[in-house]
Amino acid sequence: MGTSVQVKPLCGVYNENPLSYLVSIDGFNFLVDCGWNDHFDPSLLQPLSRVASTIDAVLLSHADTLHLGALPYAMKQLGLSAPVFSTEPVYRLGLLTMYDQYLSRKQVSEFDLFSLDDIDSAFQSVTRLTYSQNHHFSGKGEGVVIAPHVAGHLLGGTVWKITKDGEDVIYAVDFNHRKERHLNGTVLGSFVRPAVLITDAYNALNNQPYRRQKDKEFGDILKKTLRAGGNVLLPVDTAGRVLELILMLESYWADENLNYPIYFLTYVASSTIDYVKSFLEWMSDSIAKSFEKTRENIFLLKYVSLLINKSELDNAPDGPKVVLASMASLEAGFSHDIFVEWGNDVKNLVLFTERGQFATLARMLQADPPPKAVKVVVSKRVPLVGEELIAYEEEQNRIKKEALKASLMKEEESKTSHGADNTTSDPMVIDSGNNHTSPEVAGPRGGGYRDIFIDGFVSPSTSVAPMFPCYENTLEWDDFGEVINPDDYVIKDEDMDHTVMHIGGDINGKLEESAASLILDTKPSKVVSDERTVQVRCPLVYMDFEGRSDGRSIKNILSHVAPLKLVLVHGSAEATEHLKQHCLKHVCPHVYAPQIDETIDVTSDLCAYKVQLSEKLMSNVLFKKLGDYEIAWVDAVVGKTENDMLSLLPVSGAAPPHKSVLVGDLKLADIKQFLSSKGVQVEFAGGALRCGEYVTLRKVGDASQKGGGSGAQQIVIEGPLCEDYYKIRDYLYSQFYLL
Amino acid sequence: MSGWGKKRESSNGSSREEDKLIVTPLGAGNEVGRSCVYMSYKGKTILFDCGIHPAYSGMAALPYFDEIDPSTVDVLLITHFHLDHAASLPYFLEKTTFRGRVFMTYATKAIYKLLLSDFVKVSKVSVEDMLYDEHDINRSMDKIEVIDFHQTVEVNGIRFWCYTAGHVLGAAMFMVDIAGVRVLYTGDYSREEDRHLRAAEIPQFSPDVCIIESTYGVQHHQPRHTREKRFTDVIHATISQGGRVLIPAYALGRAQELLLILDEYWANHPELQNIPIYYASPLAKKCLTVYETYTLSMNDRIQNAKSNPFSFKHVSALSSIEVFKDVGPSVVMASPGGLQSGLSRQLFDIWCSDKKNACVLPGFVVEGTLAKTIINEPKEVTLMNGLTSPLNMQVHYISFSAHADSAQTSAFLEELNPPNIILVHGEANEMGRLKQKLMTQFADRNTKILTPKNCQSVEMYFNSQKMAKTIGKLAEKTPQVGETVSGLLVKKGFSYQIMAPDDLHVFSQLSTANITQRITIPYSAAFNVLLHRLKQIYESVEQSVDEESGVPTLQVHECVTVKHESEKHISLHWTSDPISDMISDSIVALILNINRDIPKIMDESDAIKIEEENEKKAEKVMIALLVSLFGEVKVGENGKLIINVDGNVAELNKESGEVESENEGLKERVKTAFRRIQSSVKPIPLSASVYFVS
Repeated sequence: MGTSVQVKPLCGVYNENPLSYLVSIDGFNFLVDCGWNDHFDPSLLQPLSRVASTIDAVLLSHADTLHLGALPYAMKQLGLSAPVFSTEPVYRLGLLTMYDQYLSRKQVSEFDLFSLDDIDSAFQSVTRLTYSQNHHFSGKGEGVVIAPHVAGHLLGGTVWKITKDGEDVIYAVDFNHRKERHLNGTVLGSFVRPAVLITDAYNALNNQPYRRQKDKEFGDILKKTLRAGGNVLLPVDTAGRVLELILMLESYWADENLNYPIYFLTYVASSTIDYVKSFLEWMSDSIAKSFEKTRENIFLLKYVSLLINKSELDNAPDGPKVVLASMASLEAGFSHDIFVEWGNDVKNLVLFTERGQFATLARMLQADPPPKAVKVVVSKRVPLVGEELIAYEEEQNRIKKEALKASLMKEEESKTSHGADNTTSDPMVIDSGNNHTSPEVAGPRGGGYRDIFIDGFVSPSTSVAPMFPCYENTLEWDDFGEVINPDDYVIKDEDMDHTVMHIGGDINGKLEESAASLILDTKPSKVVSDERTVQVRCPLVYMDFEGRSDGRSIKNILSHVAPLKLVLVHGSAEATEHLKQHCLKHVCPHVYAPQIDETIDVTSDLCAYKVQLSEKLMSNVLFKKLGDYEIAWVDAVVGKTENDMLSLLPVSGAAPPHKSVLVGDLKLADIKQFLSSKGVQVEFAGGALRCGEYVTLRKVGDASQKGGGSGAQQIVIEGPLCEDYYKIRDYLYSQFYLL
Repeated sequence: MSGWGKKRESSNGSSREEDKLIVTPLGAGNEVGRSCVYMSYKGKTILFDCGIHPAYSGMAALPYFDEIDPSTVDVLLITHFHLDHAASLPYFLEKTTFRGRVFMTYATKAIYKLLLSDFVKVSKVSVEDMLYDEHDINRSMDKIEVIDFHQTVEVNGIRFWCYTAGHVLGAAMFMVDIAGVRVLYTGDYSREEDRHLRAAEIPQFSPDVCIIESTYGVQHHQPRHTREKRFTDVIHATISQGGRVLIPAYALGRAQELLLILDEYWANHPELQNIPIYYASPLAKKCLTVYETYTLSMNDRIQNAKSNPFSFKHVSALSSIEVFKDVGPSVVMASPGGLQSGLSRQLFDIWCSDKKNACVLPGFVVEGTLAKTIINEPKEVTLMNGLTSPLNMQVHYISFSAHADSAQTSAFLEELNPPNIILVHGEANEMGRLKQKLMTQFADRNTKILTPKNCQSVEMYFNSQKMAKTIGKLAEKTPQVGETVSGLLVKKGFSYQIMAPDDLHVFSQLSTANITQRITIPYSAAFNVLLHRLKQIYESVEQSVDEESGVPTLQVHECVTVKHESEKHISLHWTSDPISDMISDSIVALILNINRDIPKIMDESDAIKIEEENEKKAEKVMIALLVSLFGEVKVGENGKLIINVDGNVAELNKESGEVESENEGLKERVKTAFRRIQSSVKPIPLSASVYFVS
């Protein structure tokens, strides 16, 4: 029997909630995507929390919140501990996206779902792969191979292909078939007839205008606003679609010779662009080619300035400007603050380049007609002063004392436990192993690493959380005395490098410091919020630069890929139902759109067994070549090899007759050309091909549905008895292989 | 049966041929330089690297391309940008019949162009000796495809991917998989991590054949720190004596590493900071952005670095010797590394006679270059202008070359444990020693170690079992031994599937087709006549009435439907396949016959005439056949045929077939011949016997 495949959505079906699905291949559980939305609502993760501990591997497809936002939380709170797989850009940009989310949140609220450390430790377990790299699992997942492929939506965006025993399960959400400035189109179209395809219906009802036209409108509307002295706000994501927008602005500014300033403002803007500069391998062919020619990195930006701090923007000279700021949802981040400031000026413009997440401020503003006024919460983090500060300090002292007491007690315990036999010391070993993540204990070097760790994109394996110091050096004893750990005596290369070469570690110390200072500083602070109503006077425009295939293309791609079974996820109920009906009719007879927590079994009902082809049989097989394939008819007798494999041996005596098979794909247009090259008069007439004076050639039946029916093409050749008839029949036969 | 036997034998022979894997070094076999290794298996051909020999110029520097037919090469894989691995590529792409695909990594491709353009400019050879020009390089750029580390690419059933090799930026080791047989070509590799590069990876899978470099033979590198210390000490000592230091180095690769060392040393020694370090390579400056961009293939230290370590603080660029002010001590790094020509040679000529000066050779020096000569510290050297000059400057050879040494090679091979090892890219002596060493190392295993010379082929046999997967309807039940399996065998690349014809479109992009034929024939006789005749020929003729039009129909042999469309026409319907086509043809013939037979009335005299004509024709044919058999044949007076073979005469009565001859042998042969001709020319005996006897 074939490989067993089950799909169970954990979040994001029949609506636009974040994506998170459980795919089990022969009992090996993949969590594909681990998304959250900008509201960070833990109730969305309920289904995930029930299965988190059974997950064997996590695959991430895109570097945005909707696809990986819940990873730190799930790792910390839900018991997810599986290895994570993603491409290099998804890893780096995903990390930056999460930093940006955290910093934006922390600035305006007591955000405690996860910390920067949690983000770091979650991303530490990421294995990075390149496109088309086959990763073979061992152990439980023996035989399972995963490979990322280009999705085309975001940099490093991935269509995952999971293969076992030659059967492909493909997970392709948010793909884009169109080639863009910085990305190649998806390669989804090159997968043919996978056993299962999991895709989204998000854009099934959308149709897009042509890109060139869209680009021009985009530039023109910006120019108009700026000329009129207004500012433009583009709420963007941290490190995804914004890259395309930046390139678009750069080229438009260069073409039009504009000198209005453009600012890219996120907490991680400069590191984002720094990393993106070294991701040329992951971008479009044209970028790679132009780099080879001119050796100029396209992300060495000429017009866009990178800011990581709102005060820098406030200090910028007055006058019209364009600001790209995160978050795209306007729920938090710089875009939120700027919107509040600029929203009531009729000269300004807010230009949305993607649909806002469901039930966010951006989505509300995108409604038609836009609301006249919106209520927003404006929050600010301010340092504590006066009485509050004193109260805070007292509280801190109390906590400290308690912690000290607890640790002392622990030490006591450990001492007593060491008196006993070795087995009781086991829990202690585990405890010290946890030191890496547990905030209770800080190693002696903690202070030295703190900066690095805060900004840290790669927190060193030796790092520990910068917290209250507590030295818990329990000694292990054996028959020979204290157990010596040889690692303690090794001079760590890493340390040397940091001190000697001055280039390790602190990558973007130059940035977030100021921004992060308030948050990360031990200086006590609090969040002050007030609710305000913003009169929305400025024009709001929505233009689609989401970089997803539109409905029509999705349908085309799906019918080209023609999976044996199709699973639809992510998309409004309406869009899902629409696409489901379409696919049932035109793509394949097995289309599923499961509900949350509903497990569907998409095991292919394929039967298969393996046989060895004996040398004797193969020496008498004559293959005929047809494109990539070679094909032959075999008649064989089943035998056994020494190691108990089935093998095929040639039939003794005459082979039984079989019904002949014509193999080939006939296109009427092709045969028209072929016949006319042979000197036959051909023309199309009423859907049929008239060849010569009397003979007609027709194709009947619906061949568009590849999955169902007999699948064979029906061709009719008609005519009176004449020489032409036999001639044309011979030509027609020459287009096929008879087996 | 003998035919069968023969066929099998020959096909077995060819399958043996098919299992043969051939590896032929076209360059770099028992030498260093012009790397180019040819490999062929199962009709697929791969070429690894395409370099030139730095010690020769013009055609002589090329690998032995004449040995192969470039048009048969499917894939060409370039490991890194060094001239001895990539520089004959434009020639091979533009001036030969090669039509395959070329792959290299991103960084290699970006630097390749710069390096080769520079090579074309610098190499001082006459125009006819030029292998290619700038245009050829630019054209070659369009044909080169890029591959990222670990990315799997498949071309015509050849699957390949590459691993980090550590040698220079973008250097790769290629693993090729053809029908399950894996071959690893290391190119130049190093297992030691340095200031900017990662160490070579150890592939996840063990290859069946490992083609590995042996540049350093059984030598051991000094530890990195020792080497660096020697290097900086020599330089420090020389400049503090007021001498000048020349470091001839290839423009890219090691030079960047050395500059990283020097820049750091200068930063740590403020007292040196008034001594200039020049880097005389505009090329390297151009490549800087490449180094800045493709950091993903460098080590973590570079990737996490705050500022770009390749923007040196103490190193300045030097464009040519004209602008170089040779006043006081200085350190100059200049290309080429072999001191063949160019700036490094110009400076060498100026500085070689002063014993305060020093020359530090930091990389592997190729046989036949001046650098190799001065390692042995001769008393005199020949300058560029042909004069000789005493060699007084100190010559230090401190190898920084990122090639694996003996220890790394053994460890690497130990880890991989390939059953076949082919050594390339090493001087014959070094290679021989390494072979001996490896022989001892692998003595307990069944490992073959080979050191082919250029153009010497190594043949290996891999008996690959062909496995097929039976899928779909055909596989609903796994058959028992002795049962038969019949279906379509579909081969794609090197994988086989067996399936029922109905499933073809499900599991492949191929589809099947049914062709329905409909042919109308004029027919005015009664339909029953046709029925009667058909029944005489075919076992199964079923009568029925067409449901739609209500016309009578006949179903012949269960495949062809004959419809009586109207008084004047009948039509045939059938689905194409060889048997149905044949039946329909016979029905058509029958119908035509009926059409002709019914109204035919023939004149008697005409009939006789026709018979006479037939007789004459038959006679002519008979004589012609006899002539072809025996040569001379005459018609005798009595109407007999006289056959003359080498003086033996036979007379043949063509009516009765009697033969008269003195030679018994001839007589028998003519008799037999006549009987055979008779049976083929004349109508079948039953009716004929009556005819003839009367």
